[in-house]
Amino acid sequence: MKFSYRAAALGAIGALTLAACSSTDTPSDAESTSPTGDSSAAANAPLLNLGMVDAPGQGGFVAADMSFATKAPYGQAVYDTLIRATPDNQLEPSLATAWEYDETGLVLSLGIRDDVVFTDGTPFDADVAAQNILRFRDGAAENANWLANVADAVATDPTTLEITLSAPDPALLLNLSRAAGYQESPASFDDPAPVGTGPYVLDEARTVTDATYTFTANADYWAPEYQHYDEIVMTVFEDPVSMQNALLGNQLDAALYSGYDGFDQIVGAGYTAHEYAQDWEGLLLFDRGGQLSEPLADVRVRQAINHAIDKEGLLQALAGGRGEVTTQIFGKNTEGFSEELESRYPYDPELARELLDEAGYGDGFTIEFPTVSFVPPATFDLVGQQLADVGITASFYEVAPQDYFGVMLGGQTPIASMRLEQPATAWETYNLELAVSAPWNAFHEFDETVASYGELLQSSVPEEATLAASELNAHIVEEAWFNPWYRTVTTFYTDAETDVTPQVGNIYPYLWNIVPTEG
Amino acid sequence: MGRFITRRVISGISLLFVISSAAYLLLYISSGDVARNLLGPTATDEQVAAKAAELGLDQPLLTRYWDWLTGALTGDFGTSWASRAPVTEVLGGRVSVTLTLVIAAVIVSALGAIVLGTLAASRGGWSDRTIQVVSLIGAAVPGFLIAMLLVLFVAIDLGWFAATGYVRPTESFSGWIQTAVLPITALAVAGVAAVTQQVRGSMLDEQRKDYVRTLECRGLSRRSIVFRHVLRNAATPALNVLALMFIALLGGAVVVEQVFAIPGLGKLTVSSTLTGDVPVIMGIVVVTVMLVVAVNLLIDLIQAWLNPKVRLS
Repeated sequence: MKFSYRAAALGAIGALTLAACSSTDTPSDAESTSPTGDSSAAANAPLLNLGMVDAPGQGGFVAADMSFATKAPYGQAVYDTLIRATPDNQLEPSLATAWEYDETGLVLSLGIRDDVVFTDGTPFDADVAAQNILRFRDGAAENANWLANVADAVATDPTTLEITLSAPDPALLLNLSRAAGYQESPASFDDPAPVGTGPYVLDEARTVTDATYTFTANADYWAPEYQHYDEIVMTVFEDPVSMQNALLGNQLDAALYSGYDGFDQIVGAGYTAHEYAQDWEGLLLFDRGGQLSEPLADVRVRQAINHAIDKEGLLQALAGGRGEVTTQIFGKNTEGFSEELESRYPYDPELARELLDEAGYGDGFTIEFPTVSFVPPATFDLVGQQLADVGITASFYEVAPQDYFGVMLGGQTPIASMRLEQPATAWETYNLELAVSAPWNAFHEFDETVASYGELLQSSVPEEATLAASELNAHIVEEAWFNPWYRTVTTFYTDAETDVTPQVGNIYPYLWNIVPTEG
Repeated sequence: MGRFITRRVISGISLLFVISSAAYLLLYISSGDVARNLLGPTATDEQVAAKAAELGLDQPLLTRYWDWLTGALTGDFGTSWASRAPVTEVLGGRVSVTLTLVIAAVIVSALGAIVLGTLAASRGGWSDRTIQVVSLIGAAVPGFLIAMLLVLFVAIDLGWFAATGYVRPTESFSGWIQTAVLPITALAVAGVAAVTQQVRGSMLDEQRKDYVRTLECRGLSRRSIVFRHVLRNAATPALNVLALMFIALLGGAVVVEQVFAIPGLGKLTVSSTLTGDVPVIMGIVVVTVMLVVAVNLLIDLIQAWLNPKVRLS
């Protein structure tokens, strides 16, 4: 039985993507008072069979505890968010009609719709919104930190929600368009059965937990332009081979594909492949302070590793050539990305050996390197061989899948192989991988230069932020904090009756952007 | 008979206790940082600690096991850590799916084996040799490979059956046929192969016995001797193999359900093991042990019915 690294990585990306957030592309206020769907409220298509790579997870359907990323469609089926994001993350009204920060940037006022009712009949108002905000902040969602800066949320009147922050948070509005903005009926807070205002209702009688989830259209949905189907069936495929079979057997209308191969056959079966670069794969050189592996503290050693790895070779061998070689953790659409930096670390074992020699490791050194079953063994074979070619001995040891994240994020390994999200914005990238508190800065090394760029990203005007992003990215590449190999391609398939618009910054397209084709 | 059943039930309960205790201990040793894995890499340490406390992971092993055991005795197997649904609810919908597939596969195995085994034993010659070779191949090819070949050629290329998924017979019988035939076939191939060999061997042994010659001398037809006497006497060892097959098929369902994306006990076993969902895994252990005990008891009773010489007490 094959367990896919890709499937595991896609699942992991849920948490990775969304550790941090940004709103550099977020308007500071909005005056529109009605939602602006890009499709008219035509008659719904009867059924959407959607392929999922994972189940809702530990949060179930409790809005305050739900995950996002690959699991976004579950929540988006049942719950509306306060704000809605377009595919390129422009923010539009949803349950909130308008929003505005005060001059300190610490108080956000949102106008709340007064004509929306939960599917259990409970009216939605600002007080309900305040309760949901505080519940998510205090809940067990893996992204509860999205609202970590929320000091309080109160309804000043039934149509005005006031959120007070303990510190400025440019990510807040974008997060309110994600799981942090889900609105659940207070009457169902203590009931695992979800009750929202959203376009669909979970049909529990036709749902098998962790396997198949059936949703039926909410007949009284207040924003019918975002509801496209009478029924949606979401089927979980933990095994990419079975998802491939379901696609080849034309059992799915749309699916985020978790497999490594079979792309041509799936297109041959009549599907359209929507491809987008969503993540990068490579080595995380965690121990830049040299706590566990002293050589890694020397930038020349980290640069040597970057020269020692044959990125193109790995792309062909491990990803079948589906991707683009890169040196950067910043995505192609992220501000700060530089085409010039892509050639910074060509494959050059000779140069790598020289750099190691300069650093005093001409005789090589040994580094502890964890392996895990969901990363294909070929990855470790090839990387181990290429490191050995320049004198670095990777001392591999097996880590159980359930312990791998703990080992990486707990600062227990100097180096690891992983696939990580390339967020839409530099601010997200900073908070995910670079800030001193960032989860993927596992040793939480403080770097004054990086921190100063972080401050600029958070507070400066957009032009300065872009400049800061460029300089931050160049600094990270030069300091070789990571050893990216390539940007991988995420593939979302739709059949002839279905179309999709992928979402910038989220691996799973938003549910309302999966639509029936016209005619 | 009553004493026999009581004794077997008591030994089954003892077995259940021993296996569940061992499973709980093994899960305790190998579970890793469950709270961290459930919450993901971006959760704060405080969140992880709160989750661990919520799940009772901060309690000593004995306390956790005692809580689980006392709950289980009252039918409360707790709540799934991975999905928050009650374990009984998670298992409830799935046990019937797996049992339907496995029982169907056992029936197919039994019928197929009786036909092929009888044919091989009574005809001999090329029929026997062909059936033996085919049985050997059937026993040698792994179930998952058969499952994948069936999906590729029968479901995808020919389009005769669904490639993945499962429809309950209560919802739609034709839907059930569409989704269940291939997994049942994949499960049954090894069963047919193994039991055929057993039926063939037992029948050949029986045919050499004196009572068969006596029956022949008394003028009974060959058909009557084979089906009314030889097959009945040969059934005892075949039934034992069939019982073992039932238990093996429960294991085989893990792989087959994964290939066909069937929401059964097997698929749940994989997913709950990967997430370290202890309450669900323990629920699966209990259900599986109970099934094994029940099947063994049932086989004993059938054997007594088929062959009065088998003394249960």
